[in-house]
Amino acid sequence: MSSEMDNFIGLSAVLTGFNKSVLSPFLDPVDIKSEYLPFFKQKIAQESGNPNLVGQILEKYSSLSAQGLTPQQIGAAMLDPGNGADFVLACRKLIFMWYSGAWPTLIPANGSTPASTVSDMISAKSYTTGLVWQVMQSHPMGDSNYRYGYWAKAPASLSDYTGNGGK
Amino acid sequence: MTLERLCSTAHRNYLTRALLCGLGVFSFAQGLMAQDKPATTQPLPVLTPQVPLEITVTKKPPTLASLQDDFDVFSWQTFIALNWPANSDGTPDTNLTIGQAPNDPVVWQSYRESRSIFLPDGATPAPWGEETPPPAVCKNIDAKHLPAGTLRLTQVGKTPNVLDESGEPFKTGPLIDQNGQYTRFSIMTNQAMFTYIVNNKLYSKQGQKLFNADANFPASDATKQQLGSIMIKTAWVKMGGKYDPSKFYTTYALVYDNPDEEPGVKPSCVLEQVGLVGFHIGHKTQDEPQWVWSTFEHVDNVPTKGQAATLAAYNFFDPHCKNCAVNQPPPRPWNPGNRYTKPSQVERVIPITTEAQQLNAAYHQALAAAVPDSVWLNYELVSTQWPTDAQSKTDPTGVPAPSFLANATLESYIQGHVKQTSSSCMACHNNATTTNGNFSDFTYLLQRAQ
Repeated sequence: MSSEMDNFIGLSAVLTGFNKSVLSPFLDPVDIKSEYLPFFKQKIAQESGNPNLVGQILEKYSSLSAQGLTPQQIGAAMLDPGNGADFVLACRKLIFMWYSGAWPTLIPANGSTPASTVSDMISAKSYTTGLVWQVMQSHPMGDSNYRYGYWAKAPASLSDYTGNGGK
Repeated sequence: MTLERLCSTAHRNYLTRALLCGLGVFSFAQGLMAQDKPATTQPLPVLTPQVPLEITVTKKPPTLASLQDDFDVFSWQTFIALNWPANSDGTPDTNLTIGQAPNDPVVWQSYRESRSIFLPDGATPAPWGEETPPPAVCKNIDAKHLPAGTLRLTQVGKTPNVLDESGEPFKTGPLIDQNGQYTRFSIMTNQAMFTYIVNNKLYSKQGQKLFNADANFPASDATKQQLGSIMIKTAWVKMGGKYDPSKFYTTYALVYDNPDEEPGVKPSCVLEQVGLVGFHIGHKTQDEPQWVWSTFEHVDNVPTKGQAATLAAYNFFDPHCKNCAVNQPPPRPWNPGNRYTKPSQVERVIPITTEAQQLNAAYHQALAAAVPDSVWLNYELVSTQWPTDAQSKTDPTGVPAPSFLANATLESYIQGHVKQTSSSCMACHNNATTTNGNFSDFTYLLQRAQ
């Protein structure tokens, strides 16, 4: 992987709580990361008006990671309001993207209409790989790799899904 | 990526095998990858009648691409071994090489056809090696004097009705050749798989009810040098008309129109010369409990979508037809007894990779070196699907690579890249069950029990 992709996966693992080996398996035929990184860069540049913002985010992550901080410390530092609103919002959108497979658009309040978020699915692949299904220890509607009768059995442990089981 | 992290993953099997294999092993496939086409100085692949029991991991550390090449080599080795000329007992004739004695049966033709395993009323199938009587409607044909290796082609779809009704999420539909005739299909099992079915009485509904557990077919074991379970699915067109027998591996078959497949079909049985157009191999190995799925086709089958149709004629595509609907099953009603049905217009949706094409070229060189006019030069590997994480606790399909795989003759109308819709051997067969709802170990055959 390129260092940019390494940092993207490292940052994504910190912010989502999933292990890097789940987000970017050693053998990765699905390879959703290669869809997400360019999409993330393009959308953030477009929405923030700053073509360098994603680079700055990944550089900051790289710097914090090199200091030997814990994932919790890195996550807190990345979401610190002192980084600037666009910086923090981009990190939050990164979390949203990984969990839902969709891209969020924030619509501010307007008169009596409250603020809201709408999301657009990025692709069929992103729909099926959304981390929300893993956290639910379940599967997307319309797409299951489980075998007939799985509903009568206990699912694998949550740590098996998040990759944080210490294997 | 560190070695420590690699070893901590569920993929350590492939890494371990690479370490055991070491760098001293010559990687034929890797040698090819670095070049645009096979160099004439490269040693040719060795043609042997030995079915490989496991893949050989050739790169350290392995990558997705290097393992794909390793599995593709495994597929070609298996294809060579199964299509080796056979002795009368089905063992390979080691006095011959592949491509010689082209009119004699090959190894897999001694395998058992599913029709002879899952009998009416759940009757016990005849022992391995015994001839199975043809369907009753074939009684007008002298069964004692059929050519050696004669097949019984009873299916006009890859999946007969029993599966379409209860086990498959789609009905694939018949494939019509350029003569307007239905393509025929067969599913066969090797001795290990057949023996497991018989020993556990899985050939009948009653036996499956008593068994009442997930099936677990024996896997090939390289350590013990034991061959495990192999399934073969083949697709055939009748020779003649637009099909020149010299370009196909041909055999004879009792082509049987089965009234149980579609309403309105009248039973009939004709002895025909048929040519091979599609060849699936499912092989269960110790490290790949989701099986290894290899698929081969005749080189003239179809053009690739988005690419120019360079051949004057294809087996399942008419270059001159401008308004033929592509990759669409024929309209109902389906009846293989019809004298003529409008031919199917099929394109390959997922191109054969450059690496697989290079490997095909290398094996074609080896086949030509053995027998210059070998009929097997007309067959090519499409790809191999294998589990990248066979021991995954969260995905029983083992995260297959490639994610999608289709043979233009066997999954003609379900090619593509959409999960649960497009063809994926492992994702589909992961849903297979016995007649009483237990997991049937990646085969739908057990659904045929009566």
